Amino acid sequence: MFFHIVLERNMQLHPRHFGRHLRDNLVAKLVKDVEGTCSGRHGFVVAITGIENVGKGLIRDGTGFVTFPVKYQCVVFRPFKGEILEAVVTMVNKMGFFAEAGPVQIFVSNHLIPDDMEFQSGDMPNYTTSDGSVKIQKDSEVRLKIIGTRVDATEIFCIGTIKDDFLGVINDPVTS
Amino acid sequence: MSLVTDSPVHSSSSDGFAAYLDAELDSDSSDVSPEQEAEDDEQEAEDESDSEYKRVKRQKVEEFESIEEHPGSTSDGSLGQNLEVTVTKDTCTHPGVFRELCIRCGQKMEGGSGVAFGYIHKDLRLGSDEIARLRDTDLKNLLRHKKLYLVLDLDHTLLNSTRLLDITPEELYLKNQTDPLQGGLKGNLFMLNTMHMLTKLRPYVHTFLKEASKMFEMYIYTMGERSYALEMAKLLDPERVYFSSRVISQADCTQRHQKGLDVVLGQESAVLILDDTESVWQKHKDNLILMERYHFFASSCRQFGFNCKSLSELKSDESEPDGALATVLKVLQRIHSMFFDLELGDDFSGRDVRQVVKRVRKEVLKGCKIVFSRVFPTRFQAENHHLWRMAEQLGATCATELDPSVSHVVSTDAGTEKSRWALQEKKFLVHPGWIEAANYFWQKKPEENFPVNQKKNQ
Repeated sequence: MFFHIVLERNMQLHPRHFGRHLRDNLVAKLVKDVEGTCSGRHGFVVAITGIENVGKGLIRDGTGFVTFPVKYQCVVFRPFKGEILEAVVTMVNKMGFFAEAGPVQIFVSNHLIPDDMEFQSGDMPNYTTSDGSVKIQKDSEVRLKIIGTRVDATEIFCIGTIKDDFLGVINDPVTS
Repeated sequence: MSLVTDSPVHSSSSDGFAAYLDAELDSDSSDVSPEQEAEDDEQEAEDESDSEYKRVKRQKVEEFESIEEHPGSTSDGSLGQNLEVTVTKDTCTHPGVFRELCIRCGQKMEGGSGVAFGYIHKDLRLGSDEIARLRDTDLKNLLRHKKLYLVLDLDHTLLNSTRLLDITPEELYLKNQTDPLQGGLKGNLFMLNTMHMLTKLRPYVHTFLKEASKMFEMYIYTMGERSYALEMAKLLDPERVYFSSRVISQADCTQRHQKGLDVVLGQESAVLILDDTESVWQKHKDNLILMERYHFFASSCRQFGFNCKSLSELKSDESEPDGALATVLKVLQRIHSMFFDLELGDDFSGRDVRQVVKRVRKEVLKGCKIVFSRVFPTRFQAENHHLWRMAEQLGATCATELDPSVSHVVSTDAGTEKSRWALQEKKFLVHPGWIEAANYFWQKKPEENFPVNQKKNQ
């Protein structure tokens, strides 16, 4: 689920960046440092949308670096137990399949794949129903429900299921 | 866990929103805040007016659409609660663990148990019951496609590698031949600059893999490092059609210096192994088909104590149509057709490929009666010598005394009494290499090619 929230961060800036473009430099550094990172508390920072305010700088002893407390608005993404997500399948094997929803990796074990879908090995491993109408393979898009999450300092992993009504393949891979 | 209340419709300022998120995260999605409970009650009161059937149906729909359709409602929060209860209610056996999460119920699991399947995903571990279940279903699936498992070793079996440092002056010409466009080695020689390696694929390997993939699901199993194994898999299988993620390397082994089938998701009764080293497969000798070592580079010859010129130095190579891989492919084809012999019925599940291997092996020297002469050290229990056992596995009968039924005398010295007897009686007199050759090539080799040197010992 996405949230638009305000976060705060202390930014250290080298004195050479001081001048007319101080604020620009500060924002550029913030974007570079923060976007794409993951915190266990808020999830992945997807994008910074604005700066609320930049506090008073504090000169560090010895180095000359200055620390600015910056408050910024950003969009974060954090998966929750019970949430429905759409994800792209990245790997299919006997044990189930791995999928990705943006930066989040999700594993769906074959216990949680409907019983009428069977694993087919070969050069393009996949799970297929007996009549062949539904097929999950690499690059398929699936709708799944998250049943467990594990949030590390830098990564989020989920266990998902497609063994429920309205879950499963929503798009076959684009063949170009 | 109320997710929907966080939707932008409700929150006027993002400050309050952030605060709400914080509160939400603190509660960690398992316990319900009092405010939320009140809302839930309201929702339930509303629902009670509906018929029971409608309610169930509506919940299901909400599960998917509530986020878009009911931005203000918290009903899916209560639904989340219900789901959690049902999940914990049916007792999960926790068949496996992915990143400390049970792969079936999503519960947090502390402490790693089960066998790690690092080659599939670095954080996946499976319990033994789950492995057995997977093997079972997989075998049925595979037998339906008339396939078996084949575990392949890399070094000295499918290819030969050397470090660039170890190249001898006589091999330097190879460095100019690694361009696949140049005729000589036909894209079988690769320079891996990043790993400082030079790799030569064994002749016939491409045909071998292509043919074997029709009969087997193939694994690579090497004692090398993972990065090396993956690099080699790329050379052998650039389109990733043969092995996909089934590349097992040293780090996946459960025992040091031993290869085990415990990390292979295949029933042992359907696995064949091709390897040049017997000792690493202590527990699975019956599955093993021993390969003649492939030494192309001088460094590899030296490593195994040969002082002769290597193939690379002689600018030669194993023969493509009669080499070890072509030979073993024929053996594999034979084993495969015997395993899936329809005359024995069409239920393959009870068959054991190990028995088939034994049967095929027994036919190699069938009908030969062998007497050894000056092969075993004196006072050595003849029955325990590896040549004796090898001959018996190949279907020959071994004897210690001469009699008219003896067909071959195996000797290192033509001057012994038994050797002279063989010449006199027009029996075959062969060098012990004859048995070893039969073992590697799975066929009786012409006896003339293994003469016993007479002059040496006289």
